[in-house]
Amino acid sequence: MRRELTLSEQRIDEQALWRSRAMSAGMGAAVCFVGVVRGTEEGRAISGLEYEAFVPMALRQFHLLFDQAEGRWPLESVRLVHRVGNVGAGEASLWIEVVAPHREEAFAACQFIVTEMKRVVPIWKKAVLIDN
Amino acid sequence: MRVRVHFYSYFKDLAGLAEVTETVAPGSRLEALLERLFLRFPRLAAMRKSALVAVGVDYQSGDYILAEGDEVSLFPPVQGG
Repeated sequence: MRRELTLSEQRIDEQALWRSRAMSAGMGAAVCFVGVVRGTEEGRAISGLEYEAFVPMALRQFHLLFDQAEGRWPLESVRLVHRVGNVGAGEASLWIEVVAPHREEAFAACQFIVTEMKRVVPIWKKAVLIDN
Repeated sequence: MRVRVHFYSYFKDLAGLAEVTETVAPGSRLEALLERLFLRFPRLAAMRKSALVAVGVDYQSGDYILAEGDEVSLFPPVQGG
């Protein structure tokens, strides 16, 4: 399975990621999920989120999740970008694409990685309140 | 035997620092180090049930035997996405 994993302080260029999508002839599904920073947190307006990561461990844990996904579904590729640092409201904080032969496994693997990421990948976020 | 401990996210605020070096006896278990840290940093002790613990880049349980040079990380539940 081909993997691309990026933790970055730079904005996620969704158009560039879409343009660089690669699928072989046997692949029929590309599922993409984009997590976007909301403008409110617990009812209060925020300007964004400050993401902190324990980067070496985050990379390791993401790859362990990719290993698990690869073992469960016939995936051709997973590409994942997660922001660190300041991410403004309305900006993408997470972009993931899973390519597989059929939609069922592509959706399932994408859901699995995002759900498990929120359990094991050491990334944290802190709201930046507008009235700060 | 010296073991470096790193704190992440709001655990840094609770501990009042980002890292600390502890001296432990050879053969010590991770849980013994954690107990010492919770005594030293009482505000962290309140988070002991939800705290996540890693050695290097892998999660470890309390029965892990510490080795010279281990880097231990202590942090709250993760929140990526």
